[in-house]
Amino acid sequence: MSKELIRLRNLCMAFDDELVLDNINLYINDSEFLTLLGPSGCGKTTTLRIIGGFTTPTSGDVTFDGVRINDVPPHKRQINTVFQKYALFPHLDVFENVAFGLRIAKVPQDEVEQRVTEMLEVVSLKGFEQRRIDQLSGGQQQRVAIARALVNRPKVLLLDEPLGALDLRLRKDMQNELKRIQQQMGITFIYVTHDQEEALTMSDTVVVMDKGRIQQIGTPEDIYNEPKNAFVADFIGESNILNGTMVRDNVVKMYGKEFPCVDGGFAENEPVDVVIRPEDIDIVPMEQGQLVGTVTNVTFKGMQYDIIVDFRGFKWLIQTTDHSPVGARIGVKIDPDGFHIMKKSEYSGMFGDYSSYSEEYEELADASAELEEEESEDEE
Amino acid sequence: MKNKLSRFAVPYVVWMAIFVVAPILIMVLYAFSNGEGGATLSNFVQMGDYAAVFGRSFKLALIATAICLLIGYPVSYYLSREGASFQRTAMVLIMLPMWMNFLLRTYSWMTILENNGLLNQLFQKIGLIALYNQLTGSNLEYFSMINTQGAVVLGMVYNYLPFMILPIYSVIVKLDYSLLEAARDLGANNVTVFRKVILPLSLPGVLSGITMVFVPSVSTFAISRMLGGGTELLLGDLIERQFLGGAYNPQLGAAISLVMMIIVVICMLVMNRFGEGEEQAVML
Repeated sequence: MSKELIRLRNLCMAFDDELVLDNINLYINDSEFLTLLGPSGCGKTTTLRIIGGFTTPTSGDVTFDGVRINDVPPHKRQINTVFQKYALFPHLDVFENVAFGLRIAKVPQDEVEQRVTEMLEVVSLKGFEQRRIDQLSGGQQQRVAIARALVNRPKVLLLDEPLGALDLRLRKDMQNELKRIQQQMGITFIYVTHDQEEALTMSDTVVVMDKGRIQQIGTPEDIYNEPKNAFVADFIGESNILNGTMVRDNVVKMYGKEFPCVDGGFAENEPVDVVIRPEDIDIVPMEQGQLVGTVTNVTFKGMQYDIIVDFRGFKWLIQTTDHSPVGARIGVKIDPDGFHIMKKSEYSGMFGDYSSYSEEYEELADASAELEEEESEDEE
Repeated sequence: MKNKLSRFAVPYVVWMAIFVVAPILIMVLYAFSNGEGGATLSNFVQMGDYAAVFGRSFKLALIATAICLLIGYPVSYYLSREGASFQRTAMVLIMLPMWMNFLLRTYSWMTILENNGLLNQLFQKIGLIALYNQLTGSNLEYFSMINTQGAVVLGMVYNYLPFMILPIYSVIVKLDYSLLEAARDLGANNVTVFRKVILPLSLPGVLSGITMVFVPSVSTFAISRMLGGGTELLLGDLIERQFLGGAYNPQLGAAISLVMMIIVVICMLVMNRFGEGEEQAVML
């Protein structure tokens, strides 16, 4: 990555005493694809609007290329935005929508024509110049919005959930398209989404936010493989999150059993959260299993089965290509690198249990630590 | 299904036929007939005598419409930017005079504008008239405000201004705020946002406002009679006289009505065409 372009320093934002951004510190590099990821109300859109200049932070600084831009109005920033609902001008055709920024900058007509045509080619909308906005599909409107922003050659493009209104197929295509455009133009994209898959697919850097705070910053691989707390582990992909104790480096204890793992650096016997991804769990015959549980629910997902397995009252999600019928007793085996150990956080115990997956069994209330009792429950 | 629903439309169709279509047909019949029931075009020929009245009517209505637009647009625009509760209160205040009887409202303007009315009394008390006399060397006891074309225009503006404000306001208030943000994002300052986004998008409201002010203004008779004092005869008065006044001549009245209606319809068509053209011109 190249040099730093935007920095947010101790950024706080409050609406009527309600803190929506709590001390955000973040830097964004030139030509980076950075995604702000989080559930609705986490402050990601507010952060984007502050960078765009539509909202003034309560406290803290925004710097652009080393210059503080807190008080610079949006039309004087070298930043353009693709709005959530595109916000295309209904009284203008595609060409004039894209040319809007150039006309204001008083760019000569022949250059306007050349740049707009070029940009419409980039977003694969050549030949649509004279179309009215209401004659375009959602995906086409989306691309006009992107062209309208990019034609001004901004240093940074802000995208506020731009794919939210599109159907799944189109969304996938547009993800690739966006990544391609970003690489082709070589500029910084700051992308806001609540869709973790979108974030992982496109980003160089993912910023996971919740409750107005940054939970974790990292590459998509880091975020997925090394989540910092239970919130991140649960929000990114599927996770089984269990209580455990770090006996010593490379050994974690759960269900009264010790498992080899590859994490370390914790205090001796420190209580920890243990993350096990559903795809890292192997199903083996009962006698070979590190743990033995009962299948309570099976869902066919196409590529794999999602099966819910009850291990002494705590339900795990396992993704497997082998079918196991409901009620089957199975053993599971987890490789040492399948465990990810996290320090306890405010989110501990809130996520990672799949009990709600199989409410109809209503076994949770009766669950006990004894395997034998579990067997009798299965007969209900 | 369709037939079932159309049954509910029957009362409406009957109503329209009796109270809209039939009167227009009767008017057309009258316009082309003489008193004895024979067909004639003499009514239209006779109308030439009243060209001045036609001219005055359209002139005053145009002036009133222009003033309404000049006042109504800024009011609508700034109103739409205020808080919701302020907007509600302001709307009630704008509508409030319309809950009063039209004649009553216009009568009260008479007492205000009269030679010894409220305004002139005020001007006398504060010495404005004396000052004016001193400055110009004239010898006025009052400013003559009533019975002038100005008073008639004032009456039109006062009575029809809400019809200009309402359609413009309702268009502006529904503008998608993100469009304005998008324009600012693309480099537009406040003036440019207004000129390139708000104004073209509020044009439909402006057009319907103009229609709603111009049409009643051009055909009014009460305003001109009360505030114009009969000296500023307008089309409305002229028509009324043919039916109720001493100049009883319903055939001529019908002919004038017909011609006025046609002129108004043509005006509206031209304006709507102009409006569409405007939109397309911006697009191109």
